[in-house]
Amino acid sequence: MAFDPSKSWDTYPDIEITLNVNGKNYKVKVKPYERLIDVLRYKLGFTGVKEGCGRGECGACVVLMDGELVPSCLVLAVRANGKKIITVEGLAPEGKLHAVQKAFLDTFAVQCGFCFPGFAIAIKHLLDKNPNPSEEEIKEALSGNLCRCGSYYRLIKAAKLASEYVRQGKIYFDVKR
Amino acid sequence: MAQAQVPEYVRVVEELFSKYKEFIYVGKYIQRWDAVSKITGKALFTADFLKFYKDPVYVYTVRPKYAHAYIKSIDTTEAERYPGVIKVLTAKDIPGVNDVGYVIPDQPLLADKKVRYIADPIALIVAEDKYVAAEAAELVHVEYEPLPVITDPLEVVDLKTLKEKEHVRIHEERESDIISHFKIRKGDVEKAIKEADVVVENEYRTGMQEHAYLEPEAAIAIPEADGGVTIIASTQCPFDVRKAVARVLGVTQNKVRVIVPAIGGGFGGKEDVVNEIGAKAALAAYYTGRPAVVIHTREESMIGHSKRHPMVAWYRHAAKKDGTLLAVEANIVLDTGAYASLGPFVAWRAIVHSTGPYKVPNARVDTLAVYTNNVYAGAFRGFGNPQVTFAFELQMDALAEELGMDPVDLRLKNILREGDRTVHGQLLTKEHGVGLEETLKRAIEVIDWYRKRKEYSEFAEGTLRKGIGLALLWHGNSIGVEGADYSSATIIINRDGTVTFRTGLTDFGQGAVWGLVLIAAEILGVPPQLFRIEPPDTSSTPDAGPTVASRSTVMGGAATMNAAYKLRKRINELAANMLGCSPDEIVIRAPEKEDVKPSDVEVFCKSDPSKKVKWTDVVEQSFWDGVPLQEFGFFRAPKAEWDEETGQGAPYVTYTFGTMVAEVTVDIETGAVKVDRMVTAYDIGKVINRVGAELHAEGGAIQGLGYALMEEIVHDKNGVVRTYNLSNYYTPLIDDIPDEIIPIWVESGFKRGPFGAKGLGEPSIVAIAPAIVNAINHATKHRFTQIPLTPERIYLGLKRAGKIKL
Repeated sequence: MAFDPSKSWDTYPDIEITLNVNGKNYKVKVKPYERLIDVLRYKLGFTGVKEGCGRGECGACVVLMDGELVPSCLVLAVRANGKKIITVEGLAPEGKLHAVQKAFLDTFAVQCGFCFPGFAIAIKHLLDKNPNPSEEEIKEALSGNLCRCGSYYRLIKAAKLASEYVRQGKIYFDVKR
Repeated sequence: MAQAQVPEYVRVVEELFSKYKEFIYVGKYIQRWDAVSKITGKALFTADFLKFYKDPVYVYTVRPKYAHAYIKSIDTTEAERYPGVIKVLTAKDIPGVNDVGYVIPDQPLLADKKVRYIADPIALIVAEDKYVAAEAAELVHVEYEPLPVITDPLEVVDLKTLKEKEHVRIHEERESDIISHFKIRKGDVEKAIKEADVVVENEYRTGMQEHAYLEPEAAIAIPEADGGVTIIASTQCPFDVRKAVARVLGVTQNKVRVIVPAIGGGFGGKEDVVNEIGAKAALAAYYTGRPAVVIHTREESMIGHSKRHPMVAWYRHAAKKDGTLLAVEANIVLDTGAYASLGPFVAWRAIVHSTGPYKVPNARVDTLAVYTNNVYAGAFRGFGNPQVTFAFELQMDALAEELGMDPVDLRLKNILREGDRTVHGQLLTKEHGVGLEETLKRAIEVIDWYRKRKEYSEFAEGTLRKGIGLALLWHGNSIGVEGADYSSATIIINRDGTVTFRTGLTDFGQGAVWGLVLIAAEILGVPPQLFRIEPPDTSSTPDAGPTVASRSTVMGGAATMNAAYKLRKRINELAANMLGCSPDEIVIRAPEKEDVKPSDVEVFCKSDPSKKVKWTDVVEQSFWDGVPLQEFGFFRAPKAEWDEETGQGAPYVTYTFGTMVAEVTVDIETGAVKVDRMVTAYDIGKVINRVGAELHAEGGAIQGLGYALMEEIVHDKNGVVRTYNLSNYYTPLIDDIPDEIIPIWVESGFKRGPFGAKGLGEPSIVAIAPAIVNAINHATKHRFTQIPLTPERIYLGLKRAGKIKL
């Protein structure tokens, strides 16, 4: 950006947008250049959305936007105006676990945990469209998410297990601890 | 060592090792403490704390245009005038010492005379906004005098003669750009080679690997009233960050507090770079009096933190007709990049392991670490061992081929067993736990080695070829001569019967700290669910040494044992008084259920279980009787021995052993490799945290697969990093993994490890690449000697050798 000393850094206009995040409406003022990920994390507090690469490569920041899987680091906040966003915090009611999350526990999949919000959303997205995916379909659906600790085997198992739960109508589980 | 000289804390570990035969928590599948918080998105990682600090300043690092240049002048005036910029900091603004070198003081926090790699920090923009900070960085005008850039370590040193070449000096303040030179001298190598039936020599190259932990580095500094600072940071080593920041600020260590929240992966990479970014955030907080934030973008992370050392090595192996190894000779050069970082220690670990887990009667090895203008290399899971293991395990296969022997039979002829001496002259006894042969035998049995080795030799289906290969490993436990290997832990039993666990060891995904809780739970009888692990905090958790070198379970576990042992002794005496039986008879047991409560735990007499009382009552009574229920445990590994001139001694307290087997399918027309199956057989003495162990076997294999086939940081001739994000630096994704990984656990028992345990964190990557490449060499009937073995390299290698015509 060219240097213009007459311009104060915050002279860009604030734009008021409405986001529906996890079922609740938020009116929030954003800058035209602000990314959805920063608004979700720092203005609304949904820090379950993680930033791993900032360019849509790692899948840690994916959210559902009107049901579609999007990397929130590549979406300008203004473009999410009026959309319904689901983050990992909205997968289950407070105090409950979603089938996907229960399956992560059942398969002992968790290591550092930084990729899990993204995987949880990606699996939820898969199951919304296809409640009985094959192993190949699972791999295809999760090929945009990176897990450097290497929990991939467990994540595939968890996706299968979650699909069973969902098909049995078991969507939410109590947290034991 | 005479019995009387064994410290009490070692004696406790030995006593518990011989006493415990059956386990309730150790070695069982138990959900880690933070699993729920991580899958619900509630776990707080460093950057997440920003939602609580509403008015922070953002710190952005100004980096150079050249990878090697003198700095003639730095003009910050234009940047300072940029709207939203609060301050621009350069070297002259550092109140303390301008250095963040880890092993040697060679790395300025902010360069003022010279830049030595493409991300060398020159200045810090402190601004109201992260975009403003990045924009203003463009307005810092630096006048450079560019110097020739060295990206090849062989421009610094000759691989044959090991002499330093004429070159433009990178660190002219030092005597030489060779920073370390370690040696092994044993027997008479020349004589052995003359007498040998077969001699095999080759050159090997390994790539610069990036940790690519999913959470980029982050630090938040909050100024404190007494001139000190509190830092929240994604670090493996909070006490190292404290030391580095105190030095840069010029304050005492007790004025710097470092808190470690959840960490999104480390693999050795979050050691020294966090000293650097912690210091940057601290400086900005010091000058502005406001919370200051450094969060690396992925690009800054990839060009701005340490990497795995690339290696160039020349190896010569000599053997008798029957396969008996006579001698190993090697010249090993490690490229440590612009700064030493942990390079000298990496080079030392490399040479200790350089001849492999074999009986080697004669050896001459030289290992050098040299400076270049590449991104600096430091700690990365395996720490020098994956590089040399790649070389010596390919040498073993080359030797087997020359001898017409099966690779397994050649190894069985030479492996270290109980009663053998290592190349350093260290005698391996039952106390060490030497389970290498068992890992080898069980691995080849489960994979049906001999049949597949023969079948795959003849396999050819269109352009597809199949191969099976293996590699063995050893990995020294403790940090050896690199430093004081101490650890510590504190256990506090609270008045409601719950337990608080404190250690300065960190968890960055590996779950080793959970292993320590399982150890404490086993000894106390209180289930792990009733423990709370407090986040590492230099103001409250004890200094347990750095979380490195696969030492958490072994050293931290031994310290934990000491704390738990002392507590249990006091509780037994108290309960014995309450119940009227002897202290030895006290049993503490909890019912098996997930949501167990302190009042569910029972304390009773073994001979008469009807004499029982609730755990919570014992705890309450302890307060009335004045029996303290807090305890500190300490452990220090026995000192390592190493002769600088000959490499003789006892470098490590014991070794983890392993056998890796890989099956591959190679498309010889495209060079594409599919790893079909792997067996990972480890002797880790005793499995403590079973979930963690299995995840390491899988995760280490996958990261090792990346190291073998796809991962490499590439610099161009100007020292510019061409692979600066995950779009051009490839790591394994979910469809790159083998169809299955079969884990095998050998529990040989190490007398001075907690319940016999040895380390696994690093070993889990050490021998993956050579196993895969040996399998590819078997499939293609070609001798590839370089990783990453990308499709291009396979295709071009086969084409140049005339093995394919395309």
